[in-house]
Amino acid sequence: MSSCQDSVILEARNVSRQIVANGNSKKTVDSFSYTFHKGDVYNIIGPSGAGKTSFLRLLNRLDDPSEGELLYQNKPLVSYQPTEIRKNLSLIFQEPYLFPGTVGSNMEYCKSDCTEDEIEFHLEQVGLNSQFAGKDVSELSVGEKQRVAIARSLLLKPEILLLDEPTAALDPTSSQTIELLILSLMKEFCLTAIMVTHNPEQAKRMGGKTLLMVSGRLIENGDTSELLTNPKTEQGQKYIRRELK
Amino acid sequence: MIETGYVQVLTAFFLVVIAFVLSRIKSIPVEKEIAYGSIRTFIQLIAVGYALEFIFKSESLYLVLLSVFIMLLVAAYTAGQRARHFKGGFAISFISLSIGSLITLGLMLVLKIISPEARYIIPLTGMIISNSMNAISITFDRIGSDLKNNRLEVETALSLGKSWREASQRFYRDAVRAGMISILNFMKTAGIVALPGAMTGMILAGVSPLKAVLIQVIVAYMLLSSLTISSIVAGEIVIRKFFNDAEQFTG
Repeated sequence: MSSCQDSVILEARNVSRQIVANGNSKKTVDSFSYTFHKGDVYNIIGPSGAGKTSFLRLLNRLDDPSEGELLYQNKPLVSYQPTEIRKNLSLIFQEPYLFPGTVGSNMEYCKSDCTEDEIEFHLEQVGLNSQFAGKDVSELSVGEKQRVAIARSLLLKPEILLLDEPTAALDPTSSQTIELLILSLMKEFCLTAIMVTHNPEQAKRMGGKTLLMVSGRLIENGDTSELLTNPKTEQGQKYIRRELK
Repeated sequence: MIETGYVQVLTAFFLVVIAFVLSRIKSIPVEKEIAYGSIRTFIQLIAVGYALEFIFKSESLYLVLLSVFIMLLVAAYTAGQRARHFKGGFAISFISLSIGSLITLGLMLVLKIISPEARYIIPLTGMIISNSMNAISITFDRIGSDLKNNRLEVETALSLGKSWREASQRFYRDAVRAGMISILNFMKTAGIVALPGAMTGMILAGVSPLKAVLIQVIVAYMLLSSLTISSIVAGEIVIRKFFNDAEQFTG
């Protein structure tokens, strides 16, 4: 296990993402600036359409900013090979997609030279026993699929986990299990987690820092407990009051 | 042997009348299409017949090449219309059809399977191009719809550090295979489910069935080659259009 320093790992400098949909131009991410530190958990909250997922996609380089710059370990994100950087900033989708076949074959798809021991180790890390390796993915529950998706990402030894509402399709108990799992994996592997959620309650449970996005803009950020109890902006107050009701 | 002339063609028009009357009785809205289609078939084929007569008699290489070029243009335009999910359908069709048909035809000439005469080159090129046109139309349609409908699968693979080629490999293979399915099915059932058109035509024209069969086998191999090459080339060019240099899915 590497030491978990509080150094800057990721920086967004005035990042915008402009798209054209049905002939109309729109900024899904607008002038976003923020500095992320290694080993911390960051919750990105905000109403639907605030640009939370769009921002995560920029970090995984599934899209690129139209303006501004993203820096990973002080180097522009675009200077890295996309196929390599995506392993370091691993994205877990809201609806996990597992490739047809077994859990084991999904793990091997990620890392063709991975051993059985590695597969078992990573499955155990996400609370699944070794017998899951031989299970067909069609037999898994949504929660189990999400765990496999996380285990699959861990095989790539990422530095940052990008989680796009990973518990959106889960019941409250399963959601909290996944949350605890993420927090324990962060400690175990010295990971940084950036998690999108539309649920401030979830952000409260995750702790760390919280970023509030509205209409593509980062309108507020700070310690999670402070931001959720004492938002500074009027938009923030309205949103938090409505969501925590 | 049937003596075919305009009288026989006019008599065969009775079959068109049957189709017309039946569709009218059953209120199937195709009367106009039957009427236009049957007249158009007659005019188009007669015109082609005269054109071929002229080209065969002239023995001009330029006229042969011009005919092949026109066939390629029309086929590329038609297949390009199927490119609903991406731009440049015409150019991609033209390139893939040209490569598929010219390699196949060239090999047939070099290997002396056919002699370099207009009466061989033009009809065989027509068969090659029309079949390849259908194949790449299917490949186009399949690649576009499969990639768009499976965005999550593609982006999951990309997000796991796979290259665009790895992320789209399954869709590329499925689309090329779909384009080739007609010739693969044809080869499985040739002569059993139906007698192939070229062979039937030759038998009707008085060629011995054994000779017609041999020519049909060559035609089947020729189509297999051109369809495979055209579909692979079309698939290779098209799939790249759905990804950019940053290995991002842009479809």
